[in-house]
Amino acid sequence: MLVTGIKSKPVYAPLQADTRGRYHLMLGMGVGAAPLLRVIAQMHTTAAAALKHTRVLYIPEAAPAIEQFRASVGDVQSFADAAALLDRFRVILGQSLMGTRLYVAGPESFIGLAMKIALEFNLNKDEIRAEECGSLARRVYCIHCRATTENVRTNIVRCIACERWLLVRDHYSRRVAAYMGVMVDAEVPGELPPVKEMFL
Amino acid sequence: MNDSQTIAVEVVGIEQVTPQIKHFKLAPVAGGTLPVFSGGSHIVVVMQGAGRVHRNPYSLLSTPQQLDTYEIGVRRMEESRGGSHFMHDAVEVGSRLEIAHPINLFGLDKIARKHLLIAGGIGITPFLAQLEDLHGGDVPYELHYSVRSHEHAAFLERLRRREGARLHMYYDSEGQTIAFESLLATQPLGTHVYVCGPAGMIKHVIATAQLCGWPDSHIHWEQFSAPPVGDAFEVFLSRSKKNVHVPPDQSLLESIEAAGVEVPYLCRGGVCGFCHTRILELDGELIHNDHYLSDADKAKGKSIMPCVSRARCKTLVLDL
Repeated sequence: MLVTGIKSKPVYAPLQADTRGRYHLMLGMGVGAAPLLRVIAQMHTTAAAALKHTRVLYIPEAAPAIEQFRASVGDVQSFADAAALLDRFRVILGQSLMGTRLYVAGPESFIGLAMKIALEFNLNKDEIRAEECGSLARRVYCIHCRATTENVRTNIVRCIACERWLLVRDHYSRRVAAYMGVMVDAEVPGELPPVKEMFL
Repeated sequence: MNDSQTIAVEVVGIEQVTPQIKHFKLAPVAGGTLPVFSGGSHIVVVMQGAGRVHRNPYSLLSTPQQLDTYEIGVRRMEESRGGSHFMHDAVEVGSRLEIAHPINLFGLDKIARKHLLIAGGIGITPFLAQLEDLHGGDVPYELHYSVRSHEHAAFLERLRRREGARLHMYYDSEGQTIAFESLLATQPLGTHVYVCGPAGMIKHVIATAQLCGWPDSHIHWEQFSAPPVGDAFEVFLSRSKKNVHVPPDQSLLESIEAAGVEVPYLCRGGVCGFCHTRILELDGELIHNDHYLSDADKAKGKSIMPCVSRARCKTLVLDL
């Protein structure tokens, strides 16, 4: 099938403090607090001064970790949802200096949207670290009508705009922060492979 | 690249622009236009000197949009192995030279949000062509150009006319130095720094940028090392079955070429990695002078960049 062995699929790794950077910007959503708090603990032991130049933007959801962040970091901001956090993130990047490292932890779709903005500011791989935790639900870009369907958990999904049945590929676009969806029943309309929950 | 792929050019203009730097204009002997290039590219000039061939890399400083001539700037090196002296003393308007196709190992990052260009002396040359690409674009840039004194400020009029306030000049003779740390500590996110100049300056810019937290992917530099002189040594080319003597003032690559064996090359300055050669046998030590192999690879002793590196050895067998 078209869904595996594709190099563009993002690969994540456990977050590590990169104290070669001078400024540290952390974005977290929900259970993404845990990896960020782990990085902060690392900084405490290896380079406590870095915490003076650390800033946290966080969406608490059901996991209220704000007070834990505030125990170590002076500049912690809380947001109701990803859209509000990412608006603020964009403003901060516009004012940031070279030497900034970005840490992102949360569901894959949140990481993807943050990376898309980071890319607009020409942050490269060696300036960004991301750890995926939480939902694997995908943003799926319809290659036929260019609409993006959010929160996709199945291998086959109906496009929210053109209503074509799309096969969700591993082919990922950093620019649109979404996986590519291609029409799955183009040969024989209505003939679909089994629909399975895959991205939980 | 090898010599069968070179382009014959005629020198159509020479100008002495500083006490040490001459500016050459080269036009294709066959007429027409020269190959397209991008700012930061260099060519290798092949010079038929007395008793030996010199092949030196020089950055193209002309406008990439104008291809009827190429322009290069050549500094007369005090400790020349002959190439720069040949260009300064033996080459006249009307002289013919061979050049290799342009190669770019020092290109601008296409999605940078700002470019910070730092030049020392003759290191200004690749930037002259890059500025032609940057000029009139939307991406902000600055050029910081450091020279010994006013008379050594090559191409200054051209830069002043085109760049205005984006040009920052520093004269050693007046005690002016680039404040690297404050410059690199205050650049907006998405800036790329490019440095070309003396080895000490390049090292200092890289170290200062790293100190300010810059990641390596935003730091670019170019330095063509002239092949250092050293002790003579012997080498055996296993596939060609030839013994080659490498004299003190000739590089390993030049000696192999003089023996009639072609080695692919692009930069001849220890940068590009194209002449990477496998070592089959070694009794002695390698003297690595390139910027290409990692320290770990250099320590392994399994390969060598013959353009700038040498050996102090009893036996050296190469896979050539």
